[in-house]
Amino acid sequence: MSKKLRNPVLLFNLFFLAVTGWLHAADKTPQSVKVTVVSILAGSTGDGFDPKLKGLEQQLRPLKHHSYRSLKDETQTIPWQGNKTFEIPGGRSLTITTQEFQNNRIGLKIHLTQGEKPLIDTTVKIANKGNIILGGPAHEGGSLVLSISAAAQ
Amino acid sequence: MSQCEFLEESIGRWLDGELPPAESEAVRRHVASCADCGAVCQRLEKIQLTLGTLLAAEAARLEFAPFWLEVQHRIEAKRPWHVEPIEAVQSLFSVPRLAWLVPAAIILVLGFLSLAKWPTGVEVNNYASVESIDAHGRNVALLREDETKTTIIWLYQDPEGEDENVEETAKSGPAF
Repeated sequence: MSKKLRNPVLLFNLFFLAVTGWLHAADKTPQSVKVTVVSILAGSTGDGFDPKLKGLEQQLRPLKHHSYRSLKDETQTIPWQGNKTFEIPGGRSLTITTQEFQNNRIGLKIHLTQGEKPLIDTTVKIANKGNIILGGPAHEGGSLVLSISAAAQ
Repeated sequence: MSQCEFLEESIGRWLDGELPPAESEAVRRHVASCADCGAVCQRLEKIQLTLGTLLAAEAARLEFAPFWLEVQHRIEAKRPWHVEPIEAVQSLFSVPRLAWLVPAAIILVLGFLSLAKWPTGVEVNNYASVESIDAHGRNVALLREDETKTTIIWLYQDPEGEDENVEETAKSGPAF
């Protein structure tokens, strides 16, 4: 192979590796996490599915409730290692602490309280732009279901 | 290297008329003025003359017809079917093409990773890993729903009740 050909190929490869390396490094260090908490009332009566919850329908069906109604939808941006509190219907509050970002998964510490009383503390790792469902607390004759989704930014 | 040594290498090409005009003129002037190089030039001219005479004498005896016939035969002959694919594969693994495979492979890997990362029609693994749960004495269920790859944490009701409608909701707990 002539030097004329070899040098541009080598230069291109080095440039390409540098650019992809830089992009990969940039991808690894998101600045914050956009967390969205959707509060849903899952009822044992009726047969209604709130159109606002269309995107969550498949995920909520296994809960086997008769109706699903969106109560609140709140989005907050949380810096890494920071935390934000979401007001949840029924005098509850949900504090989410962002922990780490690894393999395109976001580590979250979730703390749900009712007034001063802690209901659940859990540490999860969810897919970037994915979600987890947390449900169970009684609310208005049904059960409160929370969809917690996170997207690294 | 002296001028004689340098020009001596050019004398053969000069005699064959292969040198550019400026260089040719320089060699001619040197050969005319240098006895040693003049002798070299004479020797080469003598060899050329001898070879020319010899070739002219032998050419009449050489049979070129079979040679050209063989050349034509090779041109017209069909190549075996497997030769072209083998040559194509060999050319794929030539060094210049292999060099371009590096960025091509990187693009493919990045493309694959991008598909796994962003929801572009390819199913994304939405399962969450739960590292710890503390339900403060309550019962808790962990469900992994296969169809949507969703993780569900279900907190069962506190027997003492946390809501005014506890009795109603207890009946309506999820069956999963």
